[in-house]
Amino acid sequence: MFVFTTTERADLHTAALYAFGEANERLETALTFDDVHARLRSVGWFEPVSDEELDATLSRLRQWGHVDVVQNHAAHYTTAEDYERKNLQYLLTKRGEAAFEGVQHALSVLASSGALQTAVLDAIAERLGELHSLMGAGVASNRRIYTTLMELEGHLDALRTNTKQFNSELQRLLRADQPDLATFQEVKRATVGYLQEFVTNLDQRRHTIREAVALVEDQGIDALHQRAMAGAELPKLTSEDPEAAWLRHRAAKWAGLRSWFRPVDGTAPRVDELQDIARRAIVQLLRALERMSDVRRRSTSAAADFRTLAKWFAASRSEPEAHQLFNAAFGMWPARHAHLAHEDAELISSAESWAQAPPVPISPLLRTSGRIERIARTGKVRDVEEVRRLRRERARQERAELEAAWRQLATPGPVRLSCIGRLDHASFHRLLELIGRALIARQDSAGVRRAMTSDGRVEITLRSPHDAATATLRTPHGVFTGPDFVVDIRTTGARSQAEEAR
Amino acid sequence: MSNLNNQLVKQETAEVARGIRLLLAKPLLTASTDEDAFDLVRRRRDPITQWFDYYCGWRAFVEPRLGYARLSKVTDRPDSSRPVRRLRSSRAPFDRRRYTLLCVAAAELLTTPVTTIGLLADRMVQATAAEPELPTFDPTRRDERSAYVDSLKWLERCGAIRPVDGSTESYLDHADAKVLYHVDATLLVRLLAAPVPPSRLAEPELTALLAESRYGDAADPDAAVSENQRNLWLRHSVMRRLIDDPVVYRAELTPAQLGYLASPTGRRIITRGIVQAGCVLEERSDGYLVVDPDAIATDTKFPDDGSHPKVSALLLLDRLNETGDWLPVGDLALVAAELLDRFRSWGKAYRSDGGAQRLAQDAVDILCAFGLAEQRADGATRSLPAAARYAVERIQIDEPGPR
Repeated sequence: MFVFTTTERADLHTAALYAFGEANERLETALTFDDVHARLRSVGWFEPVSDEELDATLSRLRQWGHVDVVQNHAAHYTTAEDYERKNLQYLLTKRGEAAFEGVQHALSVLASSGALQTAVLDAIAERLGELHSLMGAGVASNRRIYTTLMELEGHLDALRTNTKQFNSELQRLLRADQPDLATFQEVKRATVGYLQEFVTNLDQRRHTIREAVALVEDQGIDALHQRAMAGAELPKLTSEDPEAAWLRHRAAKWAGLRSWFRPVDGTAPRVDELQDIARRAIVQLLRALERMSDVRRRSTSAAADFRTLAKWFAASRSEPEAHQLFNAAFGMWPARHAHLAHEDAELISSAESWAQAPPVPISPLLRTSGRIERIARTGKVRDVEEVRRLRRERARQERAELEAAWRQLATPGPVRLSCIGRLDHASFHRLLELIGRALIARQDSAGVRRAMTSDGRVEITLRSPHDAATATLRTPHGVFTGPDFVVDIRTTGARSQAEEAR
Repeated sequence: MSNLNNQLVKQETAEVARGIRLLLAKPLLTASTDEDAFDLVRRRRDPITQWFDYYCGWRAFVEPRLGYARLSKVTDRPDSSRPVRRLRSSRAPFDRRRYTLLCVAAAELLTTPVTTIGLLADRMVQATAAEPELPTFDPTRRDERSAYVDSLKWLERCGAIRPVDGSTESYLDHADAKVLYHVDATLLVRLLAAPVPPSRLAEPELTALLAESRYGDAADPDAAVSENQRNLWLRHSVMRRLIDDPVVYRAELTPAQLGYLASPTGRRIITRGIVQAGCVLEERSDGYLVVDPDAIATDTKFPDDGSHPKVSALLLLDRLNETGDWLPVGDLALVAAELLDRFRSWGKAYRSDGGAQRLAQDAVDILCAFGLAEQRADGATRSLPAAARYAVERIQIDEPGPR
């Protein structure tokens, strides 16, 4: 329906439609081509329009269904040209009317500003009261009932649209970042005053209206509507019955009235919401005002410092500049240093330049593989006291075992190996070790080999047997067989004891 | 002196040195994020605060019971290569929006001891709407919520707000998330370190913000200031740069500062201060450099294998050292492309279109951040003197003789 506003010649199309609209208001329903041309000027179109252009415009409007064409045979024509120009008459279709109205409405919404009018509330209460008294009067008052009802509905509509607009403007105002501080403050102050005025007597007015609604309803809404319809004297233009639709409309409007002031289902009346919104807006506006005057006062508190900084950050031209500002204001940057140093820095003279001085050692791995050797964290230092104690303990034990072994092995004099017979495993090991030591020693003239343990405490003399006898020694782990040497094992300490004993 | 006393003194020296460097790396050290470090600074707070006061003129506050230590750093040359980083996955630097929201949030938090994430957002919406110079905060947009969450996470890490119930991240997904915060107002105030309160200045002017009245006009060699003031300024200005920046070239210092470093007294004081901090002063004919062998007092290390750009930076530096002259952008990208060929295992991040250029640029950024290279506006890069520290070591290899 509004396609004419979106094409490239939207301005001309709209102007043409306006021309029709204007004519309609003067009750001229049909316009000829020349009429349209002439009227364009009266609706504010001053550019020259060629016949072709206007023709195209009219045919487009026709195409969209905004304009109808009828032929006028009744006029008096003198020339063929005259006939061609005046024969066709254009008139607005219902669709065209709606489109024109729509555009006008859109423009009026853009131009208008909402308001909360106490006068409207008063008017609603008055009309309701009037209806109440008229209902009591005779049939003659039907017309009055009709007009009063229409007025009531008109006021209700006004209340609704005004409130809607006002609320959206209010929200815009709360959000707005107005460039001009002074007017902004002015506007907010004025708005607060306005809202306070409105809220002050709202309760009382609401109460009056509620009472009035109740009074009217007591007399019967249906009856009211029937009498209003009688007063309306509806024409019957189409085949449909207009009365049913009319009554439906009235019922809907009445329900709207109730939802505003006296909802049926017990929900909060919308007028209460209105009050809430107004109260909240007052608080918010006052807070914004307080904040603005706060800013004006320029207190040198920390909060003001932060606010100033915020403004500076917002105004800074680049990121590096912002970083600098932050570091300057907050002093929060970390230090930055090299961590590689020469092992002995004193070897290099301070008079040398960096280029002359040797470079610091860098892990060669970093250049070749992009990694540095990771040195694992140093382990915890163990408590060595315990280890020492354990070691001492073990050493003592080993010593004791050794002593026991030597004692076991010590022979009273030269004996055959076979005489030893049975041994425990540890002593057997010592014995083998001793024999091994003796065997690698040189044989003296008497054919005796001598050897000592490394600590010099045990001495062995060993003589090979003259016979080929074998000795068999048993240990818990197995049996040893070997040549039956003649051995004499003495502990040096034990020898003296043995000699003494001898 | 007995052996035990020797040991105790040695331990104290080591701990003070460590504490100084810990604070240098993290000017706000909280017990909740780094308990051991805070504990050390708390135990050695007197020598540490004295060190900062004497050598750098920086104030360090240690609050044993409140659980934080704060070093208020001031400099006349704020660095843009050490930005605040997001604490969520990407670790990208903060942008202007995040900084802005951080400040707005801090201002709003100061007014209340307890708040929730939603209430704070509401207040911020009102605050930004009332300020014509601030873009209005819009928590219905996801990118705005993300910036908001990032700035809150940063405050949370600082300990300025403490979530009692819920987690800040949940706000990302839905704006009606419930997170309850306790606000630490004193810590919030401590976050500001600029010597001049910003609200006293009419316009954003860094030099005015950083003007320190205690030195007078000592920075101006012709100004008439007392000997004390000048000495104080020399000591502090020289030490601040040495202890905070990766390299200080002679060319960047004023004649007065160079003179101080050359004088026996100045030299002795500076060297002693750096040794007390556990660092080594490397002095060359072209500049000065403080080495922290334990890499405590640094936000990042070089050379290091921490990331692909870092490895590339070292290899790129080899090329720059070889050339010794400006290397145009194209050549840098070629080196990076070679590296991508050589290290097949490197991830996808630099494999896409223009990856070599990005790798080269990231590597150059690292070199510039460490004062080892400089980049012209057209992207050409050359090495600076200190780069020679990391040059390839020439190893003498004996010619294999005939056997």
